[in-house]
Amino acid sequence: MLSYAIKRVMQLIVTMFGVVTLVFFAIRMIPGDPAAAMAGDNLSGAALEEFRQRLGLDAPLWQQYTDYIQSVARFDFGSTITTSLPIAGLMLKALPITLMVAGLTVLLSVLIAIPLGTLAAFLANKGKKKLDNAITWTAMVVDLMPAFWTALLLMLFLSLNLRLLPASGTVSLEDPMLMLKRIALPVLVLAISQVATLARITRTAVLEVLNEDYVRTARSLGMSEIAVVFRHALKNAMLPIITVVGLSFGNLLNGTVIVEFIFSIPGIGTLLVYGINSRDYPLVQNVILFYAFVFVAINFITDIIYKKVDPRVQF
Amino acid sequence: MDKGAAAGTIDRNADIPGSANQPLLQVRDLHTHFFTESGIVKAVNGVSFEIQRGERLAIVGESGSGKSAMAMSLIQLIAYPGKLVSGSVRLDGKELVGLSEAELNKLRGSAIGTVFQDPMTSLDPVMTIEEQMVLPIRKHLKLGSKEARKHALGLLNQVGIPDADKRISSYPFEMSGGMRQRVMIAMALSCKPKLILADEPTTALDVTIQAQIVELLKTLTETTGSAMMFITHDLGLVARFAQKVAVMYAGKIVEYGTVDEIFNSPRHPYTQSLLKTIPSVSGEKRVRLLQIQGFPPDMKLPIIGCSYKERCPAASERCNNDSPELMPRQGRQLAACWLKNGLMTEGYESITTQLSRGELNALTKQERVNTADAAGVITTERSALPVGANEGDATRINAFVADDANIVLQITDLHKHFKKTSMLPWKKDSEIRAVNGISFKLRRGETIGIVGESGCGKSTTARMLLKLDEPTGGRIELNGNIQIVFQDPYSSFNPKMKIAEIISEPLDVRKIGTKEEKQLIVRELIQKVGLDPSYLERYPSQLSGGQRQRIGVARALALNPTVVVADEPTSALDVSVRAQIINLLCDLKEELKLSFVFISHDLSTVRYISDKIAVMYLGEIVEYGAAEEIFVNPAHPYTKALLAAVPVPDPKIEASRSIELLKGELPSPAAPPAGCAFSSRCPQVTVLCTERKPALQEYLERREVACHAVS
Repeated sequence: MLSYAIKRVMQLIVTMFGVVTLVFFAIRMIPGDPAAAMAGDNLSGAALEEFRQRLGLDAPLWQQYTDYIQSVARFDFGSTITTSLPIAGLMLKALPITLMVAGLTVLLSVLIAIPLGTLAAFLANKGKKKLDNAITWTAMVVDLMPAFWTALLLMLFLSLNLRLLPASGTVSLEDPMLMLKRIALPVLVLAISQVATLARITRTAVLEVLNEDYVRTARSLGMSEIAVVFRHALKNAMLPIITVVGLSFGNLLNGTVIVEFIFSIPGIGTLLVYGINSRDYPLVQNVILFYAFVFVAINFITDIIYKKVDPRVQF
Repeated sequence: MDKGAAAGTIDRNADIPGSANQPLLQVRDLHTHFFTESGIVKAVNGVSFEIQRGERLAIVGESGSGKSAMAMSLIQLIAYPGKLVSGSVRLDGKELVGLSEAELNKLRGSAIGTVFQDPMTSLDPVMTIEEQMVLPIRKHLKLGSKEARKHALGLLNQVGIPDADKRISSYPFEMSGGMRQRVMIAMALSCKPKLILADEPTTALDVTIQAQIVELLKTLTETTGSAMMFITHDLGLVARFAQKVAVMYAGKIVEYGTVDEIFNSPRHPYTQSLLKTIPSVSGEKRVRLLQIQGFPPDMKLPIIGCSYKERCPAASERCNNDSPELMPRQGRQLAACWLKNGLMTEGYESITTQLSRGELNALTKQERVNTADAAGVITTERSALPVGANEGDATRINAFVADDANIVLQITDLHKHFKKTSMLPWKKDSEIRAVNGISFKLRRGETIGIVGESGCGKSTTARMLLKLDEPTGGRIELNGNIQIVFQDPYSSFNPKMKIAEIISEPLDVRKIGTKEEKQLIVRELIQKVGLDPSYLERYPSQLSGGQRQRIGVARALALNPTVVVADEPTSALDVSVRAQIINLLCDLKEELKLSFVFISHDLSTVRYISDKIAVMYLGEIVEYGAAEEIFVNPAHPYTKALLAAVPVPDPKIEASRSIELLKGELPSPAAPPAGCAFSSRCPQVTVLCTERKPALQEYLERREVACHAVS
């Protein structure tokens, strides 16, 4: 376990370093720089140059790079170029909103998808093909619908036509009810595709386990079908399901970028889009650094849960 | 349709004095079909039989004969798309067919316990033994969780699990195969079942562990009074264990009788042939094994007439049209054959021996004696060298002492140690000595059999011979080239390749020959292994197990090897098919002067094919010498135990010999016992054995043994 932890921390450092480097150079390849983006059209060449100097953008690239790496190593994330606000503060404010959206999505999709997938697997195992096919095909079709499209569709339907949920407005943690209502739509949009994927994976995993010898053993001991499915089949099928949930959490962070933007929710995704549009180098770098950290952390948590579920897993 | 049989069985009941009026289990005309997309497979096609209280009935048959489907039909646990179509199953007079799932669940695990084949996959891997045992006990016996745990502990003790109170909270993966099977048995026994169904309960286990488990099952049925239905394809086990035998073929019982009746005077041609397909670990060695020609019928097609007619040398016009029902013979025996004595009927008598290439007249006579008077054979059993030691054996023995000319493979002090290093500096590295200094020589045309329990290093040796693993010490000198035949013909071929491509693959890799030349070689090879060239255009999935293994052999022969390593080439095959493959290998050996390294845990097969034998234990050779001599007169206590553990397909021998069971299991190769590796299980162990490792020393003339007690 200890050597595993050491290995994992080393991995984390290497991954973060790679991500930082990649982002640092990638964002500088996009035409235009923060000075130009801020100045717009009404600044002369000399003034622009002076502006660049003030931001430290005139220094050679490698020096900017080493400076940046050093500041990251000190956990100093600096402040944005455009607004001069501390980046750490901005991220801390946006983070809970994004986490809430992502977390609720995962929760919702797990609660719907796992029972649904298990049911489909159980039906398939008993040879009730029609019902199983209905569930599986619906899941497949839903899975193939792109999020931006379902988002607009739901907005049109639930917000404009039925006026059930607000499509825009302030989001703040102070009014939890309003907040929930406000993020309900994005969560729904994200969950729809999650449910579909997860239900299909659950079906496959549970169906496979239902054909295992130990399930037959349980049945031969007179266990009821409910006990067989929940105590044996689902527990053994958890491994692939956990993997997919872990991965989907990562994918969700991607998804939030688009969905937060569509529903104008001030989460990390919106922050990133803002940063890219205004060529705010430090902001983009640090948000992506944060994304990378979350990915690695989720992997780590997934592994820990693995170990809890399956005693055979050795680190 | 089985009215005749039913009447027969009921009559038989009447003559058993003192038995309860009612048999424990009555099965009548049971039909179970599998409704697959390509047709209806009639896996169980009219089976009727009875089991008395406390009786042990063995169900014998090839794979696909419907044994397991029949057993699962009894507790109505047939997986989709299977369905019990009709018939009656009465337990203690109570009809089970038509009961609701809830009512059946009350019987499953309580009145009827089940033990499955593979203990590795039959226990839930993510639950502790306690979690798996306690719930059924609580449900059936209505106990609280503490009492249920106590009950479970008692059962684990009963099945011989040491430290049961600790073991109960471990997970299946932390236990050995033998221990897991004991747990399975404890679970099956947990609610004092009247009937235990055991589906090949020892097939996945090593011989020594198999012997322990069979002994355990035998004692348990005797002490608890449970009856047992025991499915197996191992006729030796039947002889050791069963009281009654039912032989299944193509979804029906074709012969039924007491174990003595079946072995001494089989009446159905299938049973008669089956008994001759098996190589024997003791007694006379057969020159050639009988092989049953052809395949079992396709169960999707309707069977008109007798299901065995295509393979039966005595089939007549009547067999083509009328299906024989089980008809009473002498004693309690029933057989489904129009001929009263099957192949032993006058006129057909010699067919079995002719089929086995009966050009050796002496043997033919011997065979007749065997079947006519088994008791006579037993008296000569195990008496030094077999009386009729034939010429083949003599030349083999001579070959062993011959000079060192013609050596094709020489292994000297071969080692393979697997090191496991930890990332943390303060943790010790562990080392597993999979192969720990073995040496042997192999001459042209000679076969060496390597035997031992799983984990003894047989397969690691094979891997090193093929250079799939690099030895950590010692030398392998090879004169010529070496090829392998794998164990499992189902998974060792690329399913997307045609047979022709599979066989020519080694040629492609070495870039040998033009396209036309290759085609020619491939055609020649497939004929050499006894298959028609029309098979070249097929895919592996279209071939049976035996045919695939022939293809495996053909592929190994493609590069004209001098040595062929055969790693358990027959263990995935049925008895009748096994005989075909063994005969094929023997023919090739003669014809091509091939040398074989034959690795197997099936001692009777090894004996049949090998000239010399190396018995391995924990990575070392403990006995090495001429095969016949080792089998007839084993010297090392481990060899003795190994041979004693193998059941002999003769109930008289089995009843008369007392089997000295090897205690415990193979120690971990990471922490072998000090001194002699076998000291922890040896019945003759002394203080010396635990202190000093015995060297492999010459014993008698042509043998080497590593044991303090022997030298």
